[in-house]
Amino acid sequence: MINNDAIEIAARAVDLALELGARSAEASFSVTQRFHVEARDTTVSKLERSTGSGVHLRLWHDGHRSSVVSTDLQPEALRSAIVRGLDQLQYVAQDPYAGLPDESGAYHGDLALVDPSITVRDDADKVADALALERAVRAADPRIVNSSGSHYSDASSSIALANSNGFRGMYSTTSASRSTVPLAQEDGAKRTAHYGTAGRFLRDLEGNAHVAAVAAQRAVEMFGARKPPTMRAAVIFERDVAAALLSDIFAAVAASNVAVGNSWLADRIGERVGSKLVTIVDDGALSGRLGSAPFDGEGVATRRTQVFEAGVLRSFLYDTYYARKLGARTTGNSTGGGIGANNFYLEPGSGSLAELIAATSRGVLVLDTIGFATEHATGTYSRGARGFMIENGELAYPIDEFTVAGNFPDVLAAVDAVASDLRFDGSTVSPSFRVAEMTISGN
Amino acid sequence: MLDHDTLTRLLERALRYGGDYADVFCERRRMYGFRLQDGHIHDGATSVTQGVGIRVVTGESAGYAYSDDLSLDALLRAAEAASLIARNAPARAFGSIDLRREDVPPLYDQSRADHAPAARYVDLLERADRTARGYDSRIVAVNANVSDELQDVWIATSDGRFVHDHRPMVTLGVHAVASARGERGSGYAGDGGRTSISYFDDHRPEALAADAARIAATNLDAEAAPAGEMEIVVGSGGGGVLLHEAVGHGLESDFNRRGTSLYSGRVGERVASELVTIYDDGNLPEERGSITVDDEGVPGQHKVLVERGVLRGYMQDSLNARLMGVAPTGSGRRQSYRFLPQPRMCNTYMPAGESTPEEIIASTTRGLYAKSFAGGQVEISKGDFVFMVAEGYLIENGKVTAPVKNATIVGNGPDAMTKVVAVGNDARLARRHYTCGKGGQNVPVGVGMPTVKIASITVGGTADDQQ
Repeated sequence: MINNDAIEIAARAVDLALELGARSAEASFSVTQRFHVEARDTTVSKLERSTGSGVHLRLWHDGHRSSVVSTDLQPEALRSAIVRGLDQLQYVAQDPYAGLPDESGAYHGDLALVDPSITVRDDADKVADALALERAVRAADPRIVNSSGSHYSDASSSIALANSNGFRGMYSTTSASRSTVPLAQEDGAKRTAHYGTAGRFLRDLEGNAHVAAVAAQRAVEMFGARKPPTMRAAVIFERDVAAALLSDIFAAVAASNVAVGNSWLADRIGERVGSKLVTIVDDGALSGRLGSAPFDGEGVATRRTQVFEAGVLRSFLYDTYYARKLGARTTGNSTGGGIGANNFYLEPGSGSLAELIAATSRGVLVLDTIGFATEHATGTYSRGARGFMIENGELAYPIDEFTVAGNFPDVLAAVDAVASDLRFDGSTVSPSFRVAEMTISGN
Repeated sequence: MLDHDTLTRLLERALRYGGDYADVFCERRRMYGFRLQDGHIHDGATSVTQGVGIRVVTGESAGYAYSDDLSLDALLRAAEAASLIARNAPARAFGSIDLRREDVPPLYDQSRADHAPAARYVDLLERADRTARGYDSRIVAVNANVSDELQDVWIATSDGRFVHDHRPMVTLGVHAVASARGERGSGYAGDGGRTSISYFDDHRPEALAADAARIAATNLDAEAAPAGEMEIVVGSGGGGVLLHEAVGHGLESDFNRRGTSLYSGRVGERVASELVTIYDDGNLPEERGSITVDDEGVPGQHKVLVERGVLRGYMQDSLNARLMGVAPTGSGRRQSYRFLPQPRMCNTYMPAGESTPEEIIASTTRGLYAKSFAGGQVEISKGDFVFMVAEGYLIENGKVTAPVKNATIVGNGPDAMTKVVAVGNDARLARRHYTCGKGGQNVPVGVGMPTVKIASITVGGTADDQQ
């Protein structure tokens, strides 16, 4: 697919919608080539290579709106889908905030989103890459006797957007990742762990030897784990778990949740919510990052938005619709129907995770969590967890089958140390950080 | 979607380097829906997604490629991409393919070609909104959505099987938020199934909305959940999430063939209290997890997973069944043509026991009554699970007392199942709104259970009065 074709498809879809009666319209068209190989033991257990594409339209007529998605690009199929979407418009309430953005345009500068070495990489190299990772993780410790597979995957995408105000934009991206899921066995007990790395550039990926070593370590170090006592204690969230907490914070600052009463942060702009270490940024214009793009899902230039500044809530994250509804300006966070993170991260502090542990007299290091339901309306957080008990600045023994719980207002106010180990392996990321006190439920 | 000759040609191209098996999965999915927000119909949505996924299996290796471009050239390219697995792994030459159409008696209405008039969907949302707002003056926000989906799949396999399934799915969900004194509580209720919008003539949106509002108001008044180990009584219906997480996932054949599940190699062994029997059934009328045929063309089945505490069998897709030397159980499912099939649950439930729910509550000195769960997750190799309680209450001296909010339960599958000390006579299936995620793929499922008591489990709340 050459780039002009993608813009042309989007522009034609807009024209078709107008011709069929829409007052205004927006269409995005994306095409993605995906590759994935899974190696297990000495065999290639999965090999996937595909191209996917689709068009996503938003239609407006006098403040009524609807959306249409189609992977069928035949003109008659697209026409009948749009007719259906236009019929639905009549049943939607008139909404003065609905419509195309007032501003549009792309970030001007080279965001470095394409690694040409990914697009030309030979399949055989990728297969060898996954097999090498699988060998490395099985060699890392004699107790690694099995695995759920070692993976390499990459993708190349082109995303085009057009609207009836005349906006036309297109950009391309690449991404690659590798990960492994070893299984360790000792005295009949099984333990798995997962570790991976991802980036826009092949050279951003952590090497196979390092990925294998971290994953193997995380599998074998949990043998002999027990339940911790039920207590209130300091909790250190390792960076991958910390990133999941950032996702919950993102949900609470997304204007779509704020507007419908589903955020514990509603009405708190300008208030001190977190400790002075809590500085959180969304930046879609960072060079070479997975959450970067020149424009968002409705053609608004991406930018840097200070969400929390030294604990003070400065801004929610908006698309055009919710910005109008809440009397703010869009922050370039539209996904073309919802609100999404660009690069959403907690500013790193100083010192390594090891130094953070050494500076903790008693507490819990959380290395993995399971569960997902955070009440964004109330800010209540509770997860099943595993990790280590920390005593006198040292990892005393592994612990599992416990929960860590707290309320986000209390948790953010009690962040008392942030490490420097931030990595951009996703669009919502965080360095490791410590919360002075949370509830641990175990025995 | 594709004719007989094209399907045969794609299978032959896919097997050009040999292989044990190949299949072509053709899918067309049409979705139609509306959302309500702030008392108004917020927007409407229409989607048409279609494509073809082609798979080649050799030994324990699978090659896969999909295309949403249905031109013959694009489909042949996908078949070639899938065929490459047989160059990377040893494969046997494959003989000729003779496709025969098989007609499997359908489980659900095959006649509906389109959605109902728009006004019917909008009416459901507006009635739900009015009821939820009218339920309690403290309800400050109501969000509701309705969707009607028709999924057609055509599956052609190198064994010669060619089957079609036409799967309807309607969903109505209501989320309510209650607020007072700076506190908030939220509640959700959803229903639907493999049926049409007429389902809501009998299962009225008012009842659903009232339940969402009632849970929101209850949670607004609720105290923080306790922390620590205690007895737990799991409510009938939605409590079935417990079976799905604590046992079900561990019995999927991919984990067991690879030896990564704690239940690997344990068929015939005792894995639970003898009060515990667990079925997984793909054939229950209208349930979300029911399938005339699975996504590999195998008819849905009733499977005995655990019988009186003894592990009886796994849920099998075709690849793992072949490698384990058993028959597939109609458990091969996928989110869409963009994904390889995986062994998955359909509708997982426990039949009735002998205790009355009242006896079970009365026998509990200090514990948590988890009436329904918002969801759960499990770690397969050790069996540790969590559940998020959607509606929970304290049990004190044999009586259900104060509501508690945001409790999480954490435990270990075999440990919890061994500690099942009472099973109620009130078995029922939960309201139909559950979706299961595994390996990045979501599929609709059903759950069900009678009231069940577990002797000891860890509750992860934040209340200060710890023991």
